Amino acid sequence: MKINIRKPEFVMRLDRLGSFHQSKLSFLRSFIREFKEWEFKCHEFQLDDQGYGYAVYVVRKDKKDYSLVCFSNHLEDSERSDRVIATKWDASFVLFDGIPNSDDIVRLQANVPLQEQGRVSEKELCLSRANKSVRIFQHVVDNLAQGLQPDTKLLYDVGYLYRTTAVYGSGKFGLADRIKVQDRNELKGPFRLEMMLVYLARQFTFDQVNHIAHQRSPSTAVKLSDDIARNLGIGNSTGLGMAPFIVNHPALLNQWILAKEKSLQAIRSIEVVNISEYEKFNEYLKTIQENILFWKTDSSYQINKNENLIKDLKKFQVYISNIQLSKYFWNTVYIWVEENTEAECCELVVSLMMEIYPLIVEPFSYEMSIDEEMYFEIDASRSIADICQLIEKQYQWLLDVNFDEKENIFNFWYYSKNKQEPRMSDRFSEEGAELELPLAIARDVHALYRELKTENPNEDLATYLLKTQQYRHILRRIFICEKLPYSEIQDNTISKKLIPVDMLRLKLSFFGATRFDPRSDRWVRITMYQGAPLMKEIGKSNDTWSYKKIA
Amino acid sequence: MQSLYEIETVVKRSARAKGLSWGMAEEIAKAVRILEQSLLPGLESFKRLVDLGLTSFNPIQNPLNDEKLTKICPIHFGVFFLDNLHNKQFQKQFSFLEIYEPLLLLPFLKRSANKNLLNIKFTSKEINFNLSPGEIVSLSNQLFPHIATKITLDFSTSRSPQYSQSTWDELYELSLETFVEETEEKKLSGAGAGLTDND
Repeated sequence: MKINIRKPEFVMRLDRLGSFHQSKLSFLRSFIREFKEWEFKCHEFQLDDQGYGYAVYVVRKDKKDYSLVCFSNHLEDSERSDRVIATKWDASFVLFDGIPNSDDIVRLQANVPLQEQGRVSEKELCLSRANKSVRIFQHVVDNLAQGLQPDTKLLYDVGYLYRTTAVYGSGKFGLADRIKVQDRNELKGPFRLEMMLVYLARQFTFDQVNHIAHQRSPSTAVKLSDDIARNLGIGNSTGLGMAPFIVNHPALLNQWILAKEKSLQAIRSIEVVNISEYEKFNEYLKTIQENILFWKTDSSYQINKNENLIKDLKKFQVYISNIQLSKYFWNTVYIWVEENTEAECCELVVSLMMEIYPLIVEPFSYEMSIDEEMYFEIDASRSIADICQLIEKQYQWLLDVNFDEKENIFNFWYYSKNKQEPRMSDRFSEEGAELELPLAIARDVHALYRELKTENPNEDLATYLLKTQQYRHILRRIFICEKLPYSEIQDNTISKKLIPVDMLRLKLSFFGATRFDPRSDRWVRITMYQGAPLMKEIGKSNDTWSYKKIA
Repeated sequence: MQSLYEIETVVKRSARAKGLSWGMAEEIAKAVRILEQSLLPGLESFKRLVDLGLTSFNPIQNPLNDEKLTKICPIHFGVFFLDNLHNKQFQKQFSFLEIYEPLLLLPFLKRSANKNLLNIKFTSKEINFNLSPGEIVSLSNQLFPHIATKITLDFSTSRSPQYSQSTWDELYELSLETFVEETEEKKLSGAGAGLTDND
């Protein structure tokens, strides 16, 4: 039986993309799989009794080294903010290519805590900062100092000691360009360095609380238990800055989605499913239903999604418990889930299915990068009629949208002068729409199509481009989408109805984030690496930690 | 020194601030990045073009047959060939009087040569070069001697800037013109506004 891959017009809608969950393809998991045979160690730990100073962690294999340099500084409560407009943080991090010498440390100490206001060099690969979850951090230190383990209920409600507020890479602020590292075998998957930074930063948060507690009371202090530490991740607070990335990197987005879709297609195509695979699926299904209870949020949008998910999973549990194993079992299950549950549940079940088949899914994680330069050229020899047909085929969903209506062009995306971060505003009441970023893809494809329809269909595109270059960037996308059909989000990114958090969720799910906690429709907190092996255990990881019971 | 990412981004925004479409801005940004990566002073060249005004050059005619055409912009000229060299009618000899910043033309012609499997020969009073779909770019065939003496070969993993700090600073400032000033209203409506993070 031939099972078709899910079509872009089904997958690429934002309400579905915004319901994706972490899976075996997620970057933090593929990072652990890739680096589990490397040696991880704390190389230097120069913190004072308050926990301020610096530490260096080294990841080594053969003669290759990467180092995370962590700086911890005192921060007044009044200065603590997760927003990108903040200028100070509790901790700052930089991933160094090699092992830094003392001159490097001095240079980094003067620049890394300043983040965007500082300057790093091509020796450095990634830059980040993080703030404490003050309540949790203090509670943990207080208890450890007294010889007690912290209250796990309080801890797991939050899920982390620190949350990062940005992770920068690939040439930003003077960091090494991607070209410097792209041919290294261990870095073939997307965002490997960023995942390394966050993983090591998580270890630093545990070592720091242990250190402060010991300094405060050497005679009574105990270390944070491994079981508790393992169930703490590292948080991340992220705003709109992440959203344009998935629009600006269409070829890359295609690779991510395609890897997932090919995995699902392959699983649905399995003819015979054995009982142990079925049982393993049920075990993960049971665990995730328990772990979902730890997904805390004040967002009514997410509360609603979570409640529906819990409801749908109960319905699904009844279904799966009563179905007999038959040929193409997963295909039958998938069809039922797609027809009977919301996108949130459907995509979670897809992630669970992927969990059972590492031999099918994991190889696809090596197909998630792409050389974007290969897709930069525009083929101006194609006829106008050809381009119109491409638009009709690939962008059918937008052809009937009326872009004269206010609500369909309500928002505009721009870069703020203050922090050079992408933002979104109402074009009818706020200034700056003339400086709009080229992220209004649907509107511009529509306008280009209308214009091309007035041209001679037999002429080549080059003739049209001699008259105007206004939509050159859109033409580039249309050609990319022709070759890479999962490269385009099939929703209007300037509509009044847009929920930007869905765009963030899409990217974060591929990172491997869990516990989505939107703080508004344009800002979300998440957790990474919750349940992941500790640094000293990474060599033993078998990649089943995502579906371990939290408490 | 700035990373190639920073160079490409700042050139793209500066070109946009100076009136080019986003698609054209992407083209020149890529071209300057390629030049700087090749240790050629693309950013300085671009800056001189910006100072002249990117939209002040003569438009490219179709068909290209004006031998007296002066003040040609290398960006529009380069994109023109990129878009049209698939067409046999353009695979012939053209003559012009003057083109500004011919260095910026190099990446466009190189891409055209690769794309259409063409050999391109550029001759002028000041500089000659040959481009082909091959990997080696030949600058002025006649300059290659039969014997080279007193040879030094330097190998380095690091790039060195091919532009001055002031050129960078000016282009960086220009790139900020594509950014929107932060008003109080925008700050209040921004992501995370009004919430405490001391939790």
